[in-house]
Amino acid sequence: MRRRASLAAAPLLVFGATACSGAFGMPRGATEQGRDVFDLWQTFFVAAVAVAALVYGLIAWSLIRYRRRRSDDAEALGAPFRERRGLEAVYVAIPLVIVVALFTLSFRTGQRVDDLDPDPGVRVHVEAFAWGWRFSYPDLDLTVVSEPSGPGVDGPELVLPIDETARIELVSNDVIHAFWVPGFLFKRDAIPGVIQTFDVTPTEAGVFQGACSEFCGLNHAYMRFTVRVVPSTEFDAWASERAGASGAAA
Amino acid sequence: MRTAFRLLVGLGVFGLALGTVYWFLTSEVTGSVLLWSFGLMPLIVAAWIRRRLRAGGGSRPADRPDAVPSAAAGEVIGSFPAASAWPLFLALALVLAGAGLVYGAILLPLGIGLVAFAVLGMMRESRD
Amino acid sequence: MSTTVDRPAAPPAPHGPHEEPRGVVSWITTTDHKRIGILYCVSAFAFFLVGGALAGAIRVELAEPGRQLVTEQTFNTLFTIHGTVMLFLFVGGFGNGLANYLVPLQVGAPDMAFPRLNALSYWFFAGGGVLILLSAVAAAGGGAAMGWYAYPPLSGSGFSPGVGPDLWILGMALVAASSLLSGINVITTAFLMRAPGMTMWRLPIFTWNAIVTAMLGLVAFPPAVAAFALLFIDRRFGGHVFDPQGGGDPVIYQHLFWFLGHPEVYILVLPFFGVITEVLPVFSRKAVFNYAGFVMATLAIGALSMGVWAHHMFTTGVVDNPFFSAMTLLIAVPTGIKFFNWIGTMWGGRIRFAVPMLFAIGFLLNFLIGGVTGVMLASAPIDYQVSDSYFLVAHFHYTLMGGSVFAIFAAIYFWFPKAFGTRLSEAIGRWVFALLFVGFNLTFWPQFVAGLRGMPRRIADYPSGLGFETPNLLSTVGAGVMSVGVLLFLVDVWTAFRRREPAGDDPWGGSSLEWATTSPPPHHNFVTLPPIRSERPAFDLHHPELDPGAGR
Repeated sequence: MRRRASLAAAPLLVFGATACSGAFGMPRGATEQGRDVFDLWQTFFVAAVAVAALVYGLIAWSLIRYRRRRSDDAEALGAPFRERRGLEAVYVAIPLVIVVALFTLSFRTGQRVDDLDPDPGVRVHVEAFAWGWRFSYPDLDLTVVSEPSGPGVDGPELVLPIDETARIELVSNDVIHAFWVPGFLFKRDAIPGVIQTFDVTPTEAGVFQGACSEFCGLNHAYMRFTVRVVPSTEFDAWASERAGASGAAA
Repeated sequence: MRTAFRLLVGLGVFGLALGTVYWFLTSEVTGSVLLWSFGLMPLIVAAWIRRRLRAGGGSRPADRPDAVPSAAAGEVIGSFPAASAWPLFLALALVLAGAGLVYGAILLPLGIGLVAFAVLGMMRESRD
Repeated sequence: MSTTVDRPAAPPAPHGPHEEPRGVVSWITTTDHKRIGILYCVSAFAFFLVGGALAGAIRVELAEPGRQLVTEQTFNTLFTIHGTVMLFLFVGGFGNGLANYLVPLQVGAPDMAFPRLNALSYWFFAGGGVLILLSAVAAAGGGAAMGWYAYPPLSGSGFSPGVGPDLWILGMALVAASSLLSGINVITTAFLMRAPGMTMWRLPIFTWNAIVTAMLGLVAFPPAVAAFALLFIDRRFGGHVFDPQGGGDPVIYQHLFWFLGHPEVYILVLPFFGVITEVLPVFSRKAVFNYAGFVMATLAIGALSMGVWAHHMFTTGVVDNPFFSAMTLLIAVPTGIKFFNWIGTMWGGRIRFAVPMLFAIGFLLNFLIGGVTGVMLASAPIDYQVSDSYFLVAHFHYTLMGGSVFAIFAAIYFWFPKAFGTRLSEAIGRWVFALLFVGFNLTFWPQFVAGLRGMPRRIADYPSGLGFETPNLLSTVGAGVMSVGVLLFLVDVWTAFRRREPAGDDPWGGSSLEWATTSPPPHHNFVTLPPIRSERPAFDLHHPELDPGAGR
């Protein structure tokens, strides 16, 4: 019988193992907004593990305790346990309390993540197209565009200064794409006819992978990009160097 | 019948209320219209059941907890058709008409003709 | 020609002699709900094999980085057709088949209310299925490759030329029409054709769930058909309804589509909640725990599910995220109630681990993971990260494959003796369960990890070095284990028909009315009906020593 119990608990153990890696499987979020989402994720994760542990425990207990034993009469019936009003009220109330709490947390985080800074430090206009990206900085008059995409082709690089709020305006002129940076814990769909506006405030320097996450046709898999977050002095150096170069290239 | 009636009215009221809440929260037209129509649909059936109930349909043996099987002996449950080839025929005709919409030209009139033929055939058969 | 059926009085009058067709003709012209149910289930299972083969190709392609097996275009067609086939033709079709077979038996009716309409609904389903499969292969200019939700503008004529998407749209329209017809049938049958004493509050939980499923279908399918029709007009007749270049709005399509799409996932799971609620009490040798709570929870899930559609659109930035987040989280409450009711049903029982019970337990274990990850996805900010990633893919496979499909196998092992009068093998069945359970978790658990590491769904290839390799390889191995399980199941069916070991009328000690007639049931189902005094008429019949509804 012990084997059956461990079978029931097996998925839970893997959940636990994922948790031990420190980040519950999720990147920690390299932006202010992403950090918020990560904190929310931790809460949801703990709640999920607690609920799963309780329910798995109850299932395992009933299967072991109430299994039919060899010595039992083959025709014996189970106990007449079919209604307990008080108990039913409890297990309506508990999930209700849990989801109300989770909703409140999620609502607050959502407001912070969707919030727009009245005075962003840098503005980037992102155009998603089949199948690539065009990143332009209207205040700096420079543009970065994808090479024609394909297997093994590196995507374009979006450069952002650290600790400054970047206002991103996302558009598409053909089909629906989505701008996803897993390291920022954020994505937003690029829908033709809609201008999407959101803020990211990077807090960690480094290179982050990005990808189109809304299926957009043939080369969807190759519609990747990277985000490089650099100190603001380095950003200014890059911008001035690039402005000269892209003026000629564009 | 009464249970079914309450169920449908409950669903209908829920749909209308939800649609109204949604409208005031979002002013989004598509979703509001969809939710209101979700509310109206069960109410149509509920209205029909209410007429049946008024006409004395509430005391059918199926709704009496103490009814014995013989309570309904002889009650005509319905008339059940024997084998019929029309459903298959109608579906094939529709597939053909659909293919006509896609591949065009000759298939379409042929498909529509066959659909009409199948519908007529099925109607005639169900009159028996 | 038709037969008028009366409620059986004491000895039933034999039906007048009339010529019934035989052989294949008798199957394709049948209007008998049992045969139609079997046709539905067998076709659905055939679609499962097709969809499974497509999934196998997807898994082989994704086993390691780089493109090996298929081109990107073919890959896109593979997952488009895999999704459509599995959702609408396999799980949806099987749910319809079970409802067709079981609802008249469980309410004590001789057939569905509209048998010919019922046959029509099956043939629409089959025709639609054929069109959907044709859209993959027999389409000049490329198969349908726009994903199963066919978002415009990608699904418009400019970005998806060729007849593939057109055939797909027509196929979906036929499948939707079939759902409407069978929904009307189920509701009418359950409301108006119940046997004497079978009040609504004595209907088996499966029938209740079939009613709610049918209602969801009736409300949710028409908007989707409208969306498909408008899309077809855009594609073929120069419309601009969803075309932003022509002043249209692609977001409206998403609203219409998900107004079907989300209730659809409950259409795909509620019948199987019903199956589990039939299986657990029988193998615990108890009555179901909290019957009224089950019914209420099903109704609540059905009603709430109409107000959650845009949680598929959290990342569009154009919907009211908190509204849909709240509605979605609320669904966790009735689902939780069901889980506790299932545990209460097993509590104090005498549990027999027969194969249907094993699959039911597998359902509970898997579906719980789908449920708690569903709560995570219900939070809009978390969805910003996990939406359209492999985390989402893993989540819905835990509900649909680990949940519904395990319940389908439970249903097959449970009702096979009733439908065919012969039993499947317990020994082989245990192996099928073990292979499917291990294979399933090995396939989909790693996909949670891949998704959290940043792997988007629907990609034909992925870069190396981002931590995607190991999860994907494990996934592919798991898919291999599952396919062995499915093949073994086919062997089980084949040997069962060769052995033809008689099952008896009530092999499991069942509760609902179908166990009070013969296996397989006669034409028009019942020679005599037992008195119905509780929601367990067959149990009461076989245990006359107990008060009806004992243990209340």
